[in-house]
Amino acid sequence: MTEWAFDALLAGGLLGLAWQIVASRVLFRSVVLFIVFGLLMAVTWARLHAPDLALAEAAIGAGITGALLLSAYRAFLSRRGTDPGPPPVFPRWAAVGVAALVGALVGGIGWVVVGLEPPEQTAGREALAHLAISGVENPVTAVLLNFRSIDTLSEVVVLFVAFLAARVVAQDLAHAGPGDWLRASRNEPVLVQPLIAFIAPMTVLAAGYLLWSGEHQPGGAFQAGAVLAALGVLLRLTGRLRPTSEPSLAERLSLVGGVVLFSAIGLAGAGVASAVLAYPEGWEYELILLVETALTIAIALPLVLLFSGSGGLRREVR
Amino acid sequence: MTLLETLTVILVSVGGLFFLTGTIGLLRFPSSFSRLHALTKADNVGLGFIACGLALQAESVWVAMKILLVWGVALIAATVSAHLIARFTLRAAGGSRRTPP
Repeated sequence: MTEWAFDALLAGGLLGLAWQIVASRVLFRSVVLFIVFGLLMAVTWARLHAPDLALAEAAIGAGITGALLLSAYRAFLSRRGTDPGPPPVFPRWAAVGVAALVGALVGGIGWVVVGLEPPEQTAGREALAHLAISGVENPVTAVLLNFRSIDTLSEVVVLFVAFLAARVVAQDLAHAGPGDWLRASRNEPVLVQPLIAFIAPMTVLAAGYLLWSGEHQPGGAFQAGAVLAALGVLLRLTGRLRPTSEPSLAERLSLVGGVVLFSAIGLAGAGVASAVLAYPEGWEYELILLVETALTIAIALPLVLLFSGSGGLRREVR
Repeated sequence: MTLLETLTVILVSVGGLFFLTGTIGLLRFPSSFSRLHALTKADNVGLGFIACGLALQAESVWVAMKILLVWGVALIAATVSAHLIARFTLRAAGGSRRTPP
């Protein structure tokens, strides 16, 4: 009974929030509600016994996406000088038509799916059955980095391409990112420096733990990368990192490092292992850890740079 | 119900009560400062009660310590963000020395 009530509350809350996000006429309100939506979504994934997804949703969906949206909103503000006001209104007949079509599509898919026979041998069962040969103990990591590593490789490429596209678009924007950079000065709030002194090492520790623990429990490169990116956002906002127009050599290497290393190991698999993107036997664990470490950095850096709206970042000494 | 479970129920209920009053304060109080007063104090203590209640149900001391660590980190974050919001409000109202926020 209690579980039903909780589930109903979650589902109702998600639907209500989704409606508020779309229907709200104030952009800032929609952004804040979207962050709340991400948090509720993370709770929903945890409730569905998918802790990996819950972690990723909380870190990326609610945290980093929220920061990116706020940063975009800020850039919007400084360009227009005022609140952007209500978004353009679509004609009612178009909205009703699109809603009817989409509703029919979702309803049709749902109808077909409900009528399907559950398959005997699903991909998930296959993966669980072959967990022993994957080199890791966490089935999610086994699928992401071994059985279906092509998907993960494509995701990282997508993130990299998104970053490049944002750079191309943002070149013309004078005020991309979270406002003008301010050097951390003696006038900054007294609690900021102690907070960073405490949070920064803790965050690095948490990211390392997530990366390492992805082998046998929920965690992995995406969650660790998002946590590291959150630290970057904090340092950028407090003036510890100064935005630069061009990335440095180290930043360029980190940006492409994940994709290059992953592809190289994958291609080498054609020679030393059975197929492309297969790992040589006995080396699965070491190679997966190596690839995940490179991926963590290759995920964290573009996210921070996207937030910062700059090509690179440089350390700034107070 | 064992003694431990009764204690957990009491602690979590008290925590929920604090959250409730904090939320009412956030919605009903007139100024930023009084809203902060309601939110930070009520939520920090409320979260503390809930964390203590849940820590009693943890399967090991290690897990209980982790739950209490969550409370500690939330305390630090709440302290700093409350300080920043209050500082910004004060400066925006023209009080204290004005510097770029």
